Formats: sequence, structure tokens, C-alpha cells
Amino acid sequence: MTNITRRTLMKAAAATGLAGALGSRMAFAADEPLGIALVIPSPIGDVGWGHALAAGLEPIKAAYGDKVKVTILENIPEGPDADRIMNKTVADGNKFLIAGSFGYQNGALQIARRDPSVTVLHASGFQVAPNFSPFAAKYFQGTYLLGMAAAALSKTGKLGSVSAFAIPELITSINAFTLGAQTVNPNIEVSVVWVNSWFDPATEQEAAKALIAQNCDVIFSNAQDTPSVISACEEAGVYSFNLNSSMKKYAEKTYLGCVATDWSPFFKASVEDHLAGTFKGANAFLGVADKVVEVTDWNPAIPAETMTKIKELEAKIADGSFSPFTGPLTKADGSEGVAAGVTMADAEIVAMDWHVKGVATPLPK
Amino acid sequence: MNAIEFILAGMLAAATPFLLAALGEMVTERAGVLNLGVEGLMALGAVIAFIVVYHGGGHFFAFIAAGISATLLSLVFAFVALGFRANQVATGLAIGILGQGLSALFGKTYESLTVKGLPKIAIPGLSDIPVVGGLFERDIVVWLSLLATLAIWATFAFTKTGLVIRAVGENPKAAHAIGYPVIAVRVAAIAFGGMMAGFAGAYASVIYTPLWADGMIAGRGWIAIALVVFGTWLTGRIFLGACLFGAVSLMSLAAQATGLDLPSQLLSSLPYIVTIIVLGIISADRRLLKLNGVASLGEPFERR
Repeated sequence: MTNITRRTLMKAAAATGLAGALGSRMAFAADEPLGIALVIPSPIGDVGWGHALAAGLEPIKAAYGDKVKVTILENIPEGPDADRIMNKTVADGNKFLIAGSFGYQNGALQIARRDPSVTVLHASGFQVAPNFSPFAAKYFQGTYLLGMAAAALSKTGKLGSVSAFAIPELITSINAFTLGAQTVNPNIEVSVVWVNSWFDPATEQEAAKALIAQNCDVIFSNAQDTPSVISACEEAGVYSFNLNSSMKKYAEKTYLGCVATDWSPFFKASVEDHLAGTFKGANAFLGVADKVVEVTDWNPAIPAETMTKIKELEAKIADGSFSPFTGPLTKADGSEGVAAGVTMADAEIVAMDWHVKGVATPLPK
Repeated sequence: MNAIEFILAGMLAAATPFLLAALGEMVTERAGVLNLGVEGLMALGAVIAFIVVYHGGGHFFAFIAAGISATLLSLVFAFVALGFRANQVATGLAIGILGQGLSALFGKTYESLTVKGLPKIAIPGLSDIPVVGGLFERDIVVWLSLLATLAIWATFAFTKTGLVIRAVGENPKAAHAIGYPVIAVRVAAIAFGGMMAGFAGAYASVIYTPLWADGMIAGRGWIAIALVVFGTWLTGRIFLGACLFGAVSLMSLAAQATGLDLPSQLLSSLPYIVTIIVLGIISADRRLLKLNGVASLGEPFERR
């Protein structure tokens, strides 16, 4: 005889209740939209790095509609606070995390290791895990082309760059800019001011003015998220260009062009792989051929003859038959950088820590 | 234009945000109150001024609005720190964070927009001198802040108002005993400091770098506070410190642009190093430091 007590009844009720709860939860999980979280260190403006990343998610929203839910966490300083915020956003159910700054690397990698069901894309890093891909843009392909335009327009033969930090990503941009300029004017000289900050508009603007005072008449705004440099150049009447997203509206007359990045092809492919369960972490170093880097807003003042040459080279870069970093390349100190006929591999480019000949400013050690 | 001309031409403009904020903080501290919220007050002033100019309100009203908004926020500090006798360090930090938060909130839709700065006014005759001429070609706010520096110096050197502020800061009990309204003087000093910080922020966002970006004050409020201490609460030294800091920060950029073979990290830290060394030497005289230091700085006053 079964002795039904109040206690067993409660147990049974609890068990069915639990199963019911679990069941509904699992059913819910199947329809649940994929949570995509983007974490970036700066505020999203109308322009800049953060803006480019956020814009890269728009086509995904359009393509997937209700199946994805995008959360953007902006202005998150690198450091322990970022780790906490990323952990929280993953705990909240976001399974696809885009860590939009180099300094998020360790925290983001921990998240990826702890939970294999989470996919992490990390900007400008070097660590790779099965569910963790670092991504970076081949800005140098664009700055090479703009170097050609800059040299064609420069009257003084002196170009300048306001640059954030002396890391390979920025160094390669300056080197390619210099090499491109040398194809037009072999004696061109490039001066660099390192502001040693990712974000200090006032100092960036002063740095641009310092370069202009040294007769530089085309300025490359290297990794500034605000139009600080671009607007100072418009005021002084010298050409300027920048990375990531167009700042043409801040310099109608003197805007040379933009090395624009469109992350959506990469983001979209990664989201597709994640949903299909086939995501594989790999180093994503993307350029013109991947449709991630493209030079836009060419200034009409660039001579037609130069423009034709630029377009020819752009096509060669796109089909892979030309790389700016093909030897012979001489280092700024006069020693050999790359031997004749040798092309630098991607792995060497991402670790480049020397300037090519023609860059007047010594590289900070 | 060579590097020297570039530095001389830009020095005063680079110094102005520091100068305005530091002078305001000096007056506050002279009255015995330590307000560490300068960074936030500057940020609030900066965003309010930017919004006013962006919507066509003009630079004059931008400064007025920035001054008023930062004054109001500093009065919140006064209310908590003086009214409730809360710890001034903690309250100041909280107000600073609040100011930065408010600036980010108000500035959300204005992120990375730009406005037009102000034209430069040349002092006839002086601005034509070769090399140093650029020094005498600045916008009106620079000239006004130089006048303000003189006025503040004169106030402390010659007037009774200056003496009353100092008495309140040195020995509030004695000042109270002879009939001076200690709390009222301190509130006024805090409000003045807030207004000046608001002006400093406005200068940064609508004249010096005419754009708005969250976090654009980038630590300048903290440097202003440091200048007050290193300048030993003396107007002249604070002016000197601000100019020196401005000049050396421009020098570090100019040095790189000319291709000087020095590590850029060293150059970037040069303004701090030079300012500390120079003002350190000036204030090496311990006796003088004691003489100028504010005796009751940061201590709440309780009427008994």
C-alpha cells in the first residue's frame, strides 16, 4: 500500500513543477534571439572607431530582425571594470561578444575559456582560442593610396601624422603612407607626433598645429576618434585624412579622403558561423580584398593622373598582386628592412616595430 | 613659423583652462575649503557652453550659462560639505564624478560635433614684433583671464575682502568671534571657484578645442588643483605654473614635429616633470610654504 503523505505530495509537485519550468525554459531558449553585445572604450559619436564598429552591426540587425538582439555598451574604460561589465553582459544571456578594444583582451579571453558556448571577437589582439577571434584592419592598404594623393598635393614636400600610440597597427599605417608618398615624390618627408593618448582632443589639435607650424601640408589623423585634427587642418587650410569613418563634413574643402572600415562582412560571417555552430577562432586580419577596408571621399583636387595610378594600385591590392610592404625596404636608420623581391607576411606586418626611410621622427623606444 | 614661435603663440591659450580653474580653486581653498570636484565642474561647464554655441546662442551667453551651471553644481557641494559638515574630500570627489556624469548625459546627442571658435584680437604694435608677436594675438577670453588674474591678485594683496577670505581660511573660529560670517564667505568662495571652473570648461570646449567629446577635459581639472598646491596658493605662482605647463606641453609636441631624437613618452611627461621641478624649487622654502598654506584647509567649521 502506498502511503501518500503530505511530504511526498509536495516532492512530486515540486518535481513536476521543476520539470515544467525546465521544459518551458528550454523551449524558450530555442526561440530566444541571439544576444550580441558590443563593448567599446569611447562614446559612439557620429564618427570614429566606436561608430564604425556599431555601424558594422546594422546590416546584421537588418538581416536577422527579431532573431538577434544587439546591446551596445559604450565608454567602458579598459581595466577591471570592463571585465566586470563583460561578465555581466554574458551572464545576462548575450552569447556573442564583440570586445572593441585591445585592453579588453584578458577579460574577454577568460569569458571565452569559461563558456565554450560564447563566441568572442576581439579588436586588435593576438590571442586566439576555439571560440575567440582577434580582428584587425589592414589600414596600411588605404594609407598607402592616400600617401600617393598626399604627395601629389603637397607643395612643401613635408607630410605629418598625429598618432595615438606607437604600436604596430599605427606604425604600419605611417610606413605605408610614407611608401605611397615616395612613389610620387621620392624625397618626401613624414613627421610624426605621438600624443601618447587614445583620447585627448585638445592635445591632438595642438599636435596638428605643431606639424603645420613645421610646414607639413597634409596631415594624417592616425586613430583619433574625434574631428580634432581634421577641423584644425580645415581651419589652417591644409589637407587631412583619417581612419574608420568619414569626417568630410568637418572639412568640406581640405578633406583628402577616408580609410573607411566596414566590419559588417566579418561580423555577419561570424554570426552565421555561430548560429550554425561552426565558428572557429582565427586571426582575422582584413583588408581591401575582404571589403573591410575601402578609401572613400577622395578629394576632387587630386590630379587625374595620380588618381588613375591610385585606382590601378587599388585594384592590384584587392586582387592580391601587390602589397605595400614589398622589398627592397630600407629602415629609417639606414639598415635593410626587407630584401628586394620579398613581401612581408601578415604575421610580420602585425609585429612591425620600425619606421621606413623617409619618416623623419625617430620611433619611441 | 618655427617651433619657438609656435610655442609662444599657443602658450597663453593652452594655459587659460588651467589658469581659470586653478584661480577659482585657489580662492575656494584660501577660504579653507578643499573642492576636488574641479574636473567635473569643468566638464559640466564645457558641455553647457558647447550646447549654447551649437544652437546659435553665441560665445558670450555660452560662458554665462557655463558659469551658472557649474556654480549651481558647486553649491550642491557647498550644501553637503558646509551644511552637513561632510568630509570635503569625499564630497568633492562625488561632485566631480556627478559633474562628469551629467556632462556625458547632456552631451550624448552632441558627441563629436564641432562649432566655430572666436577670432583672435591682436594687440596693436606688440603683435608685429618678430618671434614673440604671436604671444600678443589671442582671443578675448585670454585677455580677460589675464585681467582676472590681476584682479584676484589685487584683491588678496590690497583689499579687506581678501583679508576676510584669508581670515576665514586661516582661523574660522577667530573670524567668527570677531563677527565675520564664516559659512557665507565659504559658500561665496565655493561658488566663485565653481564659476571659474565652468569658464575654464567653456574655454576648452568652445574656443580652445571647439568640439564636444565626452571626457575631453582629460584630467585638466586635476592639474589645476595640483597647480594651486604647487603654486603655494599665490596668484603669481599659479599664473606662472599654468603658463609653464602650457608652454612645455606645446614644446613636447613641437619637439616631436621637428624630429628631435627623444622618446615621445618622455616628452609627453615633460610638462608634469618641469612644472613639478620649477614650482618645487620655488616652494622649497619650508617657512614660506607654512606661511602661505591655508591652516584650516578641509576642516569643517562648527559654530558653537
